[in-house]
Amino acid sequence: MYGWIWRHLPGNVWVKALLSLVLTLAVVYVLFQYVFPWAEPLLPFNDVTVNDQ
Amino acid sequence: MSVRVIVRTVSELCITVGTLIVLFVVYVLFWTGVKADTEMDRQVDLLQDQWARQPVRPTTAAGATANPKPPAPYREAKPFALMYIPRLGFTWNKPVLEGTRTSTLKKGLGHYANTAQLGQKGNFAVAGHRRTYGDPFKDFPKLRAGDAVVLTDGAHWYTYVIDQGPYRTLPTDVQVIDPVPKKSGYTRAGRYLTLTTCDPEWGHSHRLIVWGHLESTKPVESGKPEALRR
Repeated sequence: MYGWIWRHLPGNVWVKALLSLVLTLAVVYVLFQYVFPWAEPLLPFNDVTVNDQ
Repeated sequence: MSVRVIVRTVSELCITVGTLIVLFVVYVLFWTGVKADTEMDRQVDLLQDQWARQPVRPTTAAGATANPKPPAPYREAKPFALMYIPRLGFTWNKPVLEGTRTSTLKKGLGHYANTAQLGQKGNFAVAGHRRTYGDPFKDFPKLRAGDAVVLTDGAHWYTYVIDQGPYRTLPTDVQVIDPVPKKSGYTRAGRYLTLTTCDPEWGHSHRLIVWGHLESTKPVESGKPEALRR
């Protein structure tokens, strides 16, 4: 999987390394900004109130 | 497909899932706190701005400590007060917002919408996170009878005193925020305070409750209440 991505990145080794870094940061950003905020309420830490449900 | 490719792909997937889990833990333990602290500071700034724009009321010598007029209805998901609990730390103060929705509780403490307003007759009930989102009520079990909970709405200081230490109950026990909560030991109508959070620390099977009563109300012009002075 990662080998496949590496082979398909353009440029020499340095360009590939830089692109990999950018890709990794982009993935982390998407996770922190969109995926985790969606997943976190599914955990029990938000239940702090008493209610009828 | 060779065995090598299969083994390699499975290994890579395992590493990816592991990294994902570590990142999620970092998010829950650390990043929600960073976000909540920023957001709470913003809510406090909003309140300070709002109070700074309020017209200065003439201080009347007599009746200054008399019951203030009932405040206007609080606006949903907007901050309306600041809470100080010296037991949780001398610098501990959090904004109180109207409503107890998940999105509201990420920005501060949440006031149960159908309970009494600050300083009014009835039960002023507030919920807060025990863990994550800035851990506002992390030290909730340390609260004891006699501890002060001070609130201000910009015009008055309200000092509540806790009467009963943490009481553990079930999430469905809505009677704890009744105007006169049954288990609290109060028998007559009064001006009460209820704080709720989750228990155990990282779970949601139970709730921790503390109850208090309004000890004093005084205008902000007369300075910080006793409980907040060092």
